Amino acid sequence: MNDIYQQPFVVHDASNIINETIESTLEHQLYQKTKVNLWTSNIVETIISALTKANKSFKYIASCVIMEKNGAGLHTATSCFWDNTNDKSFTIRWENTTMYVIVTVYGLSI
Amino acid sequence: MDIQHVYTKKRSEFGRQVIFTDRAVESIADIPPNPDLSREYISRNPVELAIQNVREFSEHWVNTVRFETENRGINHVEGGWPKDINPLEPDQTSRFRKKTEKEDGFTRSMLSLGNLVEHTIKQNNIVDIYENYFQNLEPDVVEEAPYAKTVNIYRDPHKTRRAANHISWYADGARKLAVSYCNLEFQSGTNDSFIDSYIWDTENPTKPDLHLKPISPLVCIEFNPKDTHQLVGGCYNGQVCIFDTRKGSTAVEQSLIENSHRDPAYKTVWLQSKSGTEFFSASTDGKILWWDTKKLSEPVETLILDIEKKGRLENALGAMSLEYESTIPTKFMVGTEQGRIISCNRKGKNDAEKIGNVFPGHWGPVYALQRHPNFLKNFLSVGDWTVRIWSEEMRDDCIMWTKPSVHALTDGQWSPTRSSIFFTTKMDGTLDVWDILFKQNEPTLSIQVVDEPLHCLRVEEPHGRLVACGSQNGTVTLVELSDNLCVQGKSEKALVNGMFDRETRRAKILEARGRARRDARGKSAHGEKTEKATTDGATLESELKEADPIEKAEKDFWKIVDEEKRKRDRKAALAGEKAAAEAGETTQAEEAAPATAETTE
Repeated sequence: MNDIYQQPFVVHDASNIINETIESTLEHQLYQKTKVNLWTSNIVETIISALTKANKSFKYIASCVIMEKNGAGLHTATSCFWDNTNDKSFTIRWENTTMYVIVTVYGLSI
Repeated sequence: MDIQHVYTKKRSEFGRQVIFTDRAVESIADIPPNPDLSREYISRNPVELAIQNVREFSEHWVNTVRFETENRGINHVEGGWPKDINPLEPDQTSRFRKKTEKEDGFTRSMLSLGNLVEHTIKQNNIVDIYENYFQNLEPDVVEEAPYAKTVNIYRDPHKTRRAANHISWYADGARKLAVSYCNLEFQSGTNDSFIDSYIWDTENPTKPDLHLKPISPLVCIEFNPKDTHQLVGGCYNGQVCIFDTRKGSTAVEQSLIENSHRDPAYKTVWLQSKSGTEFFSASTDGKILWWDTKKLSEPVETLILDIEKKGRLENALGAMSLEYESTIPTKFMVGTEQGRIISCNRKGKNDAEKIGNVFPGHWGPVYALQRHPNFLKNFLSVGDWTVRIWSEEMRDDCIMWTKPSVHALTDGQWSPTRSSIFFTTKMDGTLDVWDILFKQNEPTLSIQVVDEPLHCLRVEEPHGRLVACGSQNGTVTLVELSDNLCVQGKSEKALVNGMFDRETRRAKILEARGRARRDARGKSAHGEKTEKATTDGATLESELKEADPIEKAEKDFWKIVDEEKRKRDRKAALAGEKAAAEAGETTQAEEAAPATAETTE
């Protein structure tokens, strides 16, 4: 068992990346249904590219939910069956005046 | 998204058993509903949605940067020979050639190459790709809307703003344009302005072909039709000068300033002579001077435009435009600043005999004057806000004129190919094409060439397809016209001739009537010879009435209608008789009926 193949998923690096991505895409923007598609795909792609650049041996899954603030409620939860020592997941919740944004990233070691 | 991740794994690690454990549920988001927020939204009913089932286009325009070209020559030396062989030595080259011919593969490669060449040549020769189909058939006349498009724009490369006020085409084909530039504004005080004029090559709008450097700015410039290298230019200070394109930019000859005009020499025109060295110039100082290029120190002849024929310079009218037709070498016409048009004869012993008819002209300076190329008795003049067409026979009034336009007209010219077309330029930068056979109340085609006033125009002589217009900013635009504006129809000449004749006759009749009425009024007070006048008037009137086809047609029409009515009444009467009469009378009626039928038929 070589330690190189089993580096843990470093959480705070990832959180920085995710935060920066969301800020850059959605800073000062209002919810526009024509652009939402663009934003979600942009966020997810940017996160994955940034994470893979680190060249670590992980499988990544990124999901992004953008919800308009119009009074509805949203509840989500996850559950996983994996190698608890090497795999980690991470969620970031972000909001501005018109929308909620929830980004979840899973890193599964190869 | 193209991400690649390359990693290595030890073979022993493949297929290792995984150790998975369950991870507890983690709630990611728990956002309760918030009715306050929902109150920010209202339901929209109905929803309007515009749909259009067309492809979405977007428009872009690009103006490419002007590409500067320059012509250079290349010296090509023979090459392709191997290094040790000097291509200039014939024996070395022949030795090399003989050596290659003796090589093994030579005949084989020659044969195969020969086959290839033969095949291509045969292909070329099968079909004549330069054949003109249907050459002997005349093209169908397609009625399309006339159009004109700008071919080239020649901008003054110098920064100072000068108007392009005269253009002359190269006499031998449409290859070159000479344009004179001069700032004609009153007291514009341009000491340091550029006074050059240019000769442009029509293919090269970036750089003029030749700069002409006169002593004072040129107001007008003309190529010599006989010697295409010579140009005459009229200067702002009244001198005239001769340029030769072979001899460089400065004037070859210049007239002495004491013997030249005292005002700008507005027009210079070459004369038709055997030597091709004579020309004459006109200026607003009231003089017309004849010159010979061999001796420009003083004019050959002088004419003072005093219409009272007393030769007084103070009374003279200033000349703005000249008209000279090379087929009538002794007569010419002058358009004056005061608006009159004077027809002159060069062969007069003194000034009084030289000046002929004076036409009333325009309300302002006559900027252009030209005889019709096909009908020499009619000429057009451009001035104030109208274009007027005159006939030499009618001295008191023009025979045709255009509606006064909103903008002042600056120049006009007949089309050399089509008899019914003439061009005018206006102060709002439009070039108008008028077709008097098609529409007389407005131009057939009006093109906005530039946004500033256009000062001059010149049609390219033999073909009449290209028109060059010069504007206030010194920009010369070359416009190409569609075919239907330059190709003459079959009966067009006759129709235009007919139109001019009709209008001349009409003007004559009106004049005669007016004269007769005036005479009648004048002599009725004395009471003598009124009958003669009225009978004269009456005969004219009856002539007019007889000649009036509309009235005749009306009379005929009512005659026919009355006859039919009478026939109908007669038939009705006959029918009535038949009904009333008994059988005994039927034979009589039957006889009568065919008789009447015969008469009616």
